[in-house]
Amino acid sequence: MDDHPSFRATARVLLEAEGFDVVGEAADGASALTEAGRLQPEVVLLDVQLPDIDGFDVAARLTGNDNGPVVILVSSRDSSDFGPLVTRSGARGFVPKAELSGDRLQELL
Amino acid sequence: MSGLRRALWGVALAAVIAGAAASALVLSSDHTDYAGLGIVIGLVIMASFIGTGLFAWWRRPSNRFGALMTAVGFTFLLSALTASDNSVVFTAGVILSGVYLVVFAHMVLAYPDGRLERRWHAWLLGVGYFLTLFGMVPQLLWGFKEDMQCDGCPESALLVGSNDTLRNVLDAATSLLGIGVVAVVLFILLRRWARATSPQRRALAPVLWSGVVMLVLLASQLGSGAIGSSRLTDALGVAGLIVFASVPWVFLISLVRSRVVRAGAVSELLLALGEAPGTGTLRCRLAEALGDSSLDLVFWLEDKRKWVDYEGHVVELPREGDPVRAWTEVVLEDRRVGAILHDVTLREEPELLRSVAAAAGLAMENERLQAQLRARVEELRTSRARIVEAGTQERRRLERNLHDGAQQRLVALSLTLRLAQGKLRQDPDKADELINGAQEELTLALGELRELARGIHPAILSDRGLGAALEALAGRAPIAVQLAELPERPLPEAIEAAAYFVVAEALTNVVKYAHASQATVSVSQVNGHAVVEIADDGIGGADPGRGSGLRGLADRVSALDGNMQLDSPAGAGTRLRAEIPV
Repeated sequence: MDDHPSFRATARVLLEAEGFDVVGEAADGASALTEAGRLQPEVVLLDVQLPDIDGFDVAARLTGNDNGPVVILVSSRDSSDFGPLVTRSGARGFVPKAELSGDRLQELL
Repeated sequence: MSGLRRALWGVALAAVIAGAAASALVLSSDHTDYAGLGIVIGLVIMASFIGTGLFAWWRRPSNRFGALMTAVGFTFLLSALTASDNSVVFTAGVILSGVYLVVFAHMVLAYPDGRLERRWHAWLLGVGYFLTLFGMVPQLLWGFKEDMQCDGCPESALLVGSNDTLRNVLDAATSLLGIGVVAVVLFILLRRWARATSPQRRALAPVLWSGVVMLVLLASQLGSGAIGSSRLTDALGVAGLIVFASVPWVFLISLVRSRVVRAGAVSELLLALGEAPGTGTLRCRLAEALGDSSLDLVFWLEDKRKWVDYEGHVVELPREGDPVRAWTEVVLEDRRVGAILHDVTLREEPELLRSVAAAAGLAMENERLQAQLRARVEELRTSRARIVEAGTQERRRLERNLHDGAQQRLVALSLTLRLAQGKLRQDPDKADELINGAQEELTLALGELRELARGIHPAILSDRGLGAALEALAGRAPIAVQLAELPERPLPEAIEAAAYFVVAEALTNVVKYAHASQATVSVSQVNGHAVVEIADDGIGGADPGRGSGLRGLADRVSALDGNMQLDSPAGAGTRLRAEIPV
């Protein structure tokens, strides 16, 4: 989930090339929540900065119930920009956008 | 009775005894005409000098002017010795009879504070004493000149014979030297007048001008003596005596008059201030009451601990011992509100200054509030200018950083990628190596852009508020940073931003300079103010003027109507506190 279509497209190509099955995309926090509810994905890649609800809140809601997806936060910023928010949000981990790769995701899963 | 008062009574008693002795001497003289008239005139002159002198001495014990005036009275009495029928006493009288003129010159030169201005003035008076003591010696040695002859006077005790030529030459020489000394004294007095400010002139006038007239007459008398015109000498002598006798009275009258006038001025001031308190004419009214057109007012700003003028500009007060200017504090209900800057001569009238300062208190407080406002406006004006300037500089810095950093890396990256594309088919290994290099370059460029973006405005601050932003800041710091307190409710955005940057800059300084092992940050809301505090356990001794960073922060805080204080005693850590009204 990311409001930048170019990053969504790149990430889809990258992940599909590395064997992931990309089931859906969303451009903001609200649609991210409905799409996740509808598609029931195993993993959600979630940008921290979304136009409506921010990534930390979306992550908290997605991981709020037991059978929710694994959430991985991504951002063009560094995790040190966010302090302890990443761990508090319920997300499994944080990957800077520039370092996104199938291997990196596998490590966290 | 105080020691001084007893001593002064002693002097007065000595004067009575000396006067009686002199009168007895004159009455018993067989060569003095009009003895009764002489005694009356002599005693009146003596008494007026000694009486006025003692009065001045009593009023201002630290000022030697009173003592000098008293001394003039006593030395004036010495001329009575010439009435003696005894040859030795008569001779001594002739030698000593002019001494009072030099003491008089001394008194005028030392007016009004009783001290000689320059060391060479004392030398000049020394020459004067020499001339009066030895001026008559030629006549005492070789016989009096014709116009100085007196019937029945005893013979000079020093008489050695008759040598008219030598006597006349020496006599003329001492007269000319005497004129020279008088001329220099006159020059000093007139120059002093020319240089005096108007309140100084008012203080100088009575004694200085009668002294000038007296000295001019004396010089003419010496001159006419030198050319041998006896009638002119006598006439000038009488005129001189009258002016001389008037000096203590002129002094006394001016003293009383100034007291009466000043007392009137103070009550007028009180009335005027009662009618229109706090109008801009306070300075004029005080200048009028104190008779000092150079008078100025300054106001005390307690929060800044500084003196400012009407416009709110910071001013320095004259230091203790300044030869021209002095200041008197104005207090209202035990609180300092300002000060009157005035001519140093007004110090001679401490009672007057005190009453004017007391009368001015309330009106001055009103004007102080206005000055405080102007100071505030002035401060905002300069800080606004600095903020604009800082903004321009910040943009320049950003442009340079973008251009030198990320942009250069992206350019290099573009070249590397093109190179890799060319090698892709013929030399895949080389292409792979180039792409790896490009990857590293890109990571660095991204890191730089992130750093830059964070400096412009941290996204977390606008997204998650001050608490989260400060937590992130604390997490990034290379020393332990404890967040002791954070506001429960979010603060307005501008205040949060200011608070964030205060903490960020303070922590940067702590890391750079303080040699601290840990720091504590707290942001709280107290009495409608956001209070930001950063304390460390470092070496202290931080200079508030150091670095543009702190200055820029102070401007940022003051733009929000807040203020910033730095407390950094050497060896006891540093505490930076900013208060911003919410």
